[in-house]
Amino acid sequence: MTEQDITKEEIDYKDFSVSGNKKWKRLLKFYLLPFWRDPEFSAYENEIEKIKSKRRLFRRFLTPLTITGFLMVLFIVILAVYGPWFTDIPLEMVLPPQLPGVPFQPPSPEHPLGTTKSGFDVYARIIWGARTTMSMAFIPVIIMMAGGLILGTITAYLGGTFDYLLMRFVDLMYSLPMLIITIVLIPMLTEDLWNILIIWGVLAIPYNIRFMRSLVLQVKQLDYVRAAKVGGALKFKVMFKHIVPNSFSPIIITFFGGAAGTVLGLAGLAFLGIGDPTVATWGIDVTWARERLLTAIWAALWPGIFIGITSIGFMLMGDGVRDALDPRLHKVK
Amino acid sequence: MEQEFKKEFKFKKSKGKKHTNMVKYIIKRIVIMFPMLILALIITWLLAQMMIVSPVLFKVGHDDPQLLQAEMERVGYFDPWYVKLFNYLKDFFTGNWGESYILDEGKPVLQFIGEIFPKTLELMIIPIILTPIIAVKMGATAARHKDKSKDNIIRVITILAAGFPIFWIATMLQIGFGVYLKEFTNDLFDIPVLLLNSGDFTDYPGPIGGFRTNFRIIDSIIYNDQAFLWDTVLHLILPSICMVFVSLAGISRLTRSSMLEVLDSDYIRTARAKGVKEDDVIQKHALRNALIPTSNLIIMSTAGSLLGSLFIEMSFHYKGFGWTFLDAIRKGDYLVINGLMVFAIIVTLVGILVTDVMYTIIDPRITYS
Repeated sequence: MTEQDITKEEIDYKDFSVSGNKKWKRLLKFYLLPFWRDPEFSAYENEIEKIKSKRRLFRRFLTPLTITGFLMVLFIVILAVYGPWFTDIPLEMVLPPQLPGVPFQPPSPEHPLGTTKSGFDVYARIIWGARTTMSMAFIPVIIMMAGGLILGTITAYLGGTFDYLLMRFVDLMYSLPMLIITIVLIPMLTEDLWNILIIWGVLAIPYNIRFMRSLVLQVKQLDYVRAAKVGGALKFKVMFKHIVPNSFSPIIITFFGGAAGTVLGLAGLAFLGIGDPTVATWGIDVTWARERLLTAIWAALWPGIFIGITSIGFMLMGDGVRDALDPRLHKVK
Repeated sequence: MEQEFKKEFKFKKSKGKKHTNMVKYIIKRIVIMFPMLILALIITWLLAQMMIVSPVLFKVGHDDPQLLQAEMERVGYFDPWYVKLFNYLKDFFTGNWGESYILDEGKPVLQFIGEIFPKTLELMIIPIILTPIIAVKMGATAARHKDKSKDNIIRVITILAAGFPIFWIATMLQIGFGVYLKEFTNDLFDIPVLLLNSGDFTDYPGPIGGFRTNFRIIDSIIYNDQAFLWDTVLHLILPSICMVFVSLAGISRLTRSSMLEVLDSDYIRTARAKGVKEDDVIQKHALRNALIPTSNLIIMSTAGSLLGSLFIEMSFHYKGFGWTFLDAIRKGDYLVINGLMVFAIIVTLVGILVTDVMYTIIDPRITYS
């Protein structure tokens, strides 16, 4: 990625509302004397530089890989939102108690990608599964980030005993491998998709608390935050007003990384058989396809490719955002 | 002269201080680990108590309610919770982790773990050794030829490896090796073992009562059975390829980004300006510094890999740690679940401890006051 050259645009000084004589004197001074600043010219230049730098920032996001990632995610979102336009088969016909057709047929004009276990159409399952995957990608991550942000901010601000205890608790949660805990916990408690997502989000909060807390600690020692505290602003107001804008970019990066991880993790849980049977998930497709592993390749191929597209899309977007926002802030001096 | 001598003396003293402080840090960490272990045990006990599947019901059946009652009383189902908790903790620390109730009638859980864990260890040993080597090499190459074709190819490979789910990659490999290898090479490479499932994978059927270590490889070497050894290795090739491929991504990306940071720094420019050979600049100066955060990740992922991968064991029907865990959950054998979970927690805790300690040893900039 190359830096954009700073091109100096032609400014039409005729539109400038300055009185006649003074204008020429000031123009001469502005161009000839090296350090002379005229407030009106400078303000105008400043505005143009702001617009140019915003455009430069936006252009930094548009690397080929990031655009690819964005298009992948957009593709899945379109499949999820405009699902019924792409297939005639309603959701009930691709869920377990039904037996709509001949199992494990190769791709045919009727079933564009073939059929799987009880005659479910692979194409229809992918489209209905896109909806589940989209909610899988967003809901646990939002819970995780919100919980991490709130708890992290509170502990970093309060400090002392509460902070110490919470950090020990977070260390304890780090020592329990998350996959094993979810495998034990989820079949016990619930089978509904929303509850599974909420549980996953809540279990993933400790991993985020540490991260958010370090961000808050960094911001807390900036001078203007201290000044706000001394000036008498309310604690929580100071916290949320100053900290959130500063930690915007790490939050977005964690959001995309978390989305990719959640999609893969929940697809893995569905593969192991732990999931919601009233909803179409892509993970169960792979388990069903393994019954006829060698003969029905299409049944296992397409769900996995789509899981891959979703998570790779999120990863590429996260990488792109990180490349655009973070290192440049440190490099461009 | 005297001042220089004093300076050197001070430097040595501070290094000694670092070492004693580090030992204190290690001891402190180990001491903190015990309460955490107990808390984790209590959490696992709670989870096991909340289980819905009743193993007694599974075993006894629905026929005879009186037999059910008697069995439940024998097992201790009706004791109050503090008695149960106390018994649990007492049993744990005296080494009596109970007996497996369903999976293998009457076998003590510790012995059960001793039979199952070596299988997972065998599966993981090739990935644990190979992944860091390959991944660091890939990351260093990608950083060195930044934005050229090598870098782009490596980045694409890592993203593909990290993005696609493990179980799907395993399934695709199985299909590839099972169907296409046979077809496209005209039955030359028709090795059914490479294909699927290690369903009938048993321990070494050696002399009864003879010495066994429960590692198939070591047992077959001890008893000099070549066919068995070859069979084992063939069964392990495909899962190892899967595991290595999937684990490449994280380490490679971290190596690449830290190498990029290091290659921009001033001392590398100095080394190049001095005239050091490019190979030496990379190997001796850049890579060593770049590997500091990477070593953290490698040790952490080694500790995590010891527990095996649930997805790979399910895909290849390999009866290791993860497979037994899922089996126990399905059947409700809660003592085995407890034992396996506690074992996993111990391994993870020790892994975290080792990671932190190694990090302080490796990074010479860290000191403790």
